[in-house]
Amino acid sequence: MVMEINVSEMRRVQLFEVIGRVDSTNATELGTAMDRAVDDGKSNLVLDLSGVEYMSSAGLREMVRILKRVKRVGGDLRIANPSERVREVLELAGLDSVFEIYPTQVEAVGSF
Amino acid sequence: MSETATSRLAIGARLEEVRRACDFVVEAAERAGLDERAIYHCQMAVDEALTNVIEHGYGFRDEGNTIELTCQATADRFVITIEDSSPAFNPLTHEAPDPTEPLDSREPGGWGIYFIRKLMDDVRYERIGHRNRLTLVKRIPAPALAGSPQGAESGLFPTRELDAHTAVITPAGRLDSNNSPQLERTLEAQLGSGKTWLFVDMADVEYIASSGLKVLVAAWRRARDQHGDVILSGLQPRLVEIFEMVGFDMLFHVYPDLDSALAARPVKR
Repeated sequence: MVMEINVSEMRRVQLFEVIGRVDSTNATELGTAMDRAVDDGKSNLVLDLSGVEYMSSAGLREMVRILKRVKRVGGDLRIANPSERVREVLELAGLDSVFEIYPTQVEAVGSF
Repeated sequence: MSETATSRLAIGARLEEVRRACDFVVEAAERAGLDERAIYHCQMAVDEALTNVIEHGYGFRDEGNTIELTCQATADRFVITIEDSSPAFNPLTHEAPDPTEPLDSREPGGWGIYFIRKLMDDVRYERIGHRNRLTLVKRIPAPALAGSPQGAESGLFPTRELDAHTAVITPAGRLDSNNSPQLERTLEAQLGSGKTWLFVDMADVEYIASSGLKVLVAAWRRARDQHGDVILSGLQPRLVEIFEMVGFDMLFHVYPDLDSALAARPVKR
């Protein structure tokens, strides 16, 4: 297993728990999973990154693409618990001020 | 660490091969003694560079196209070279995207090169014959001076004094055998200066190993002996799990965040 995505439907939020490694071979898989939720009219998304050990810019690109998409329909994509390394990369790209980032999944889900 | 052995790897110009190259670089960087953060940086820079060559240089045509990597460690630097035979392309002449750009006007592309430059200490491009060569350099920090404990960084974690008996300590990162001595020194310094109520805010601690747990218990014992306490707050879910597993949740007072921990502090007279 390189990357695993667990999707759970909650009352007001669609939760995506990602485990493993997100790079250019599989980032679109993550984007597509989130696209599917938006296609179904769900635009409040939480991406739990606590299990992501590595993410390249390909993963960030998908996250930004989905964020733009859900914002257009009044939703949001919020991030829970990125590792210190992933957080550093988010900060380098200035994405820590573009995404709402929460320390825990519970807080990210509860923020909607 | 001081030898200059070079390791080499050739991969096919396919995205599926990039992971193998990343593993190769991670292993070489580990052998060179880089820390976890620097290794991550090297891995990501190589990933981004290879992805660019495969996607843009070779345009996803992998028939017979290869990319050659070398890793070389000297006393103070870890050097990665990446060579390919795609058309000449100097990534350093490309304008970098702007991280302060708001969401709507953000560039979707160009971030790979941006990261390579941010993550590495030096990046050079050369065209040699029909080949592109990108050289990525990560400095290896000088080892700690002889005599400093454990040879690890001899710094202390941030500490804030609240009163003559009370201090807030905020460790961060991984409390493993590398970093636990730093926590130990920080706690010892406070206990030694008469602080017996130590609030350790763990919100930025992402992992704790047995060495870190040991340090916390030792400080807790010492504080207790002096009628104080070590009070914890802000444990991330993974840490809560570890604490429950080893029964530390019964030993320590643990609060969801620092504010509630401080609010519960007994009033001093």
